[in-house]
Amino acid sequence: MSAATIALLGQPNSGKSTLFNALTGLRQHVGNWPGKTVEKKEGTFTHGSDTYSVADLPGSYSMSANSDEEVITRDFIASGKADVVCILADSSQLERSLFMLADYAGLSAPCFLVLNMEDVAKEQGKTIDPQAIEKKIGIPVMMFSATDTKAYDKFYATLERALRNKSQIDVSALEKEYEKIGGYSEIKEQLVDDTISGYTPMWLTVKVLENDKVVSAKLKNTLPDDKMQEIENAAKSSDGAIATGECKFAWIDGILDGAVNETKTAAKLGKLDRIYTHKFWGKPAVVLTVILGLIASFIPAVPIMGVGMGVSALGGLLKETMIAAGSPDLLTGIICDVIIQSLFYIINMLGFVFGVTLVFGLLEEVGVMARISYVFDNTMGKLGLQGKSVMPFLVSFGCTMGGAAGARVIDNWGQKVLTIALAWAVPCGAAWSIVPMLSTVFFGAGAPLVIIAILLVMILHMWVTAKIFSRGLVKTEDKYGMVMELPPYHKPKWGALFRYVLGRTKDTFFRVTKVVLIVCAIFWLLSFTTGSVEDTILYKVGVAIEPVTKFFGLTWPLFLAFIASMVGKEGAIGVISALYTGGSIYAAVGGGAVAANIGEILTANVTQPEALAFIFAITFNLPCIVALAATYQEIHSVKWTTRIALYYIATSLILAFAAYHIGLLIF
Amino acid sequence: MKLGELKENTEAVVSGISGDQRFIGRITSIGLTPGCRISVVKNDKNRPVLLYSRDTMIAVNRRECEGIEVTEVRA
Repeated sequence: MSAATIALLGQPNSGKSTLFNALTGLRQHVGNWPGKTVEKKEGTFTHGSDTYSVADLPGSYSMSANSDEEVITRDFIASGKADVVCILADSSQLERSLFMLADYAGLSAPCFLVLNMEDVAKEQGKTIDPQAIEKKIGIPVMMFSATDTKAYDKFYATLERALRNKSQIDVSALEKEYEKIGGYSEIKEQLVDDTISGYTPMWLTVKVLENDKVVSAKLKNTLPDDKMQEIENAAKSSDGAIATGECKFAWIDGILDGAVNETKTAAKLGKLDRIYTHKFWGKPAVVLTVILGLIASFIPAVPIMGVGMGVSALGGLLKETMIAAGSPDLLTGIICDVIIQSLFYIINMLGFVFGVTLVFGLLEEVGVMARISYVFDNTMGKLGLQGKSVMPFLVSFGCTMGGAAGARVIDNWGQKVLTIALAWAVPCGAAWSIVPMLSTVFFGAGAPLVIIAILLVMILHMWVTAKIFSRGLVKTEDKYGMVMELPPYHKPKWGALFRYVLGRTKDTFFRVTKVVLIVCAIFWLLSFTTGSVEDTILYKVGVAIEPVTKFFGLTWPLFLAFIASMVGKEGAIGVISALYTGGSIYAAVGGGAVAANIGEILTANVTQPEALAFIFAITFNLPCIVALAATYQEIHSVKWTTRIALYYIATSLILAFAAYHIGLLIF
Repeated sequence: MKLGELKENTEAVVSGISGDQRFIGRITSIGLTPGCRISVVKNDKNRPVLLYSRDTMIAVNRRECEGIEVTEVRA
């Protein structure tokens, strides 16, 4: 049983996630709000002898009903599930970021105000007097900087004070502003304190003036028709949302008057921003940043991948020992080929997920991600995505799993799923390691043309996939263009960032292990044999359905390699090699030996149109099981993960079909 | 004039916002209300307009700029 539940509320870039991570560390859980495609983040922390629960409310810029996030947020607050709401504002942009406080004012849940980014405000030469603000608004107010370790004691003290006093915002000055709006008093007269529990009449009135459909519908259900009619008449004659916005800012100006001292900051861009926002150099600068980020991800990843290699080597040793000791093939297979091999995949993946989460989490936190959004807003907007989506796409040229992990910086669930779905179309490092080789073997000097064709198909694929998937994922309200702030750069809070990244890596490990173990086990069973390849189920099925697969230009060895490429693309050529020379298919998928004369084997057995079909089939097939697992981990949806996977298997076969028939015409 | 028509390094005052309730909600919540002073920091073709207002650097998509009416002020 927790002592109290705290809800964190703040606009984007108010430092809400950083505070949440710093408070809860590894004790957090990420899921979805029931029945909604909105991420739910909860956690706990202990202070003294008490354990507190924390809910990181999905946020936008206000408490209106513009998105699922905002409706969930205000319903949660009004439901009384939170004992206290911690409202965050950015000290360096106080006037604008207090809008959330103004929009909150009138909700019944107790609250307190945290003015975050104290350090950035100081650098800008601003001094803020929290006591003066506290006196005016009647709730505890404190300055805060997430990077300052001493700030947390102050945070706990303020939190306890707010809990003890059940402090509520003094709205008298704000209401005076609202009363100037025509229709305000007429609407408010129709309401009483508990018309809808959790909301005061003032708050409800303001939302009616703002033409808030959710609130209007609720009132309609509660109020008698005549009262509702009065409200609707009064609302019609009012100039609504713009006027209430002006009132909120007038109130904020009143609060800040005398509480803030600042040397007028000029509206100028820093050196770095002049490059990022440059009309010509902006895009190259962003691409370079992401590539450098990708390279930097390998620094923390490599040691972990080394551990994976070690596990794999130990597995090899164990296998030899077990075989020498005469253990049954089945047991040796399950332990060494399934369990240890899966661990090898998973540990390698974790290394990469750790690196990507750390580096791109860092870019998000210091403010670079907002610049990336700005530069690519127009381009990505055409696909129904945010500018940030360009980052997972670029990362996917290296590794799709990294792209999926990187997509977590996209704050809208639907756009995140769409981004990952499109990122799968980007040929990953493993594809690039085999496609040029295959192209050269079969097409010699024509190889670059194949590569160009792949890149063109990739763009077309992404465009078509965006059209198909965006319908169910991206709602019209998200199709609005960018209206966002470019926050000032700030220093990262390393401790909180590391704990967050470790937490996510741990989560990923548990979720992913299941998927990888199951897929590895199935594939192992299908390719299990005590004798030759001909005994495996894969072979039997492959040969049996060859008449069908030939339709797509895939002979049975190519089709088996295609199936194997779903486990890992790098193994595709090894599988072909194994099929023609009699090696183990399963070992080949894990990166087993390729026959030295593979070029000759291929040209002797595979025609040029078949080769072309095969190249397109494996390039655009689902990337690999770990990418599949990472996708599931990011989007928490079996339904969408399955949809994307099936879609890719189907489209890769369609592309193979097209490539094969075009190949037949050419060659 | 519309926000998108302002040249770089000009100062202006927001004189009106038009659009549906959702649009108005988003624009006011980021701090742009009638009477508020803005300065245009960057205005390149095919990029959101960058402006500075209420202590904040704000990027506004070109399509969204159409709904924001401004009056230029001479410094």
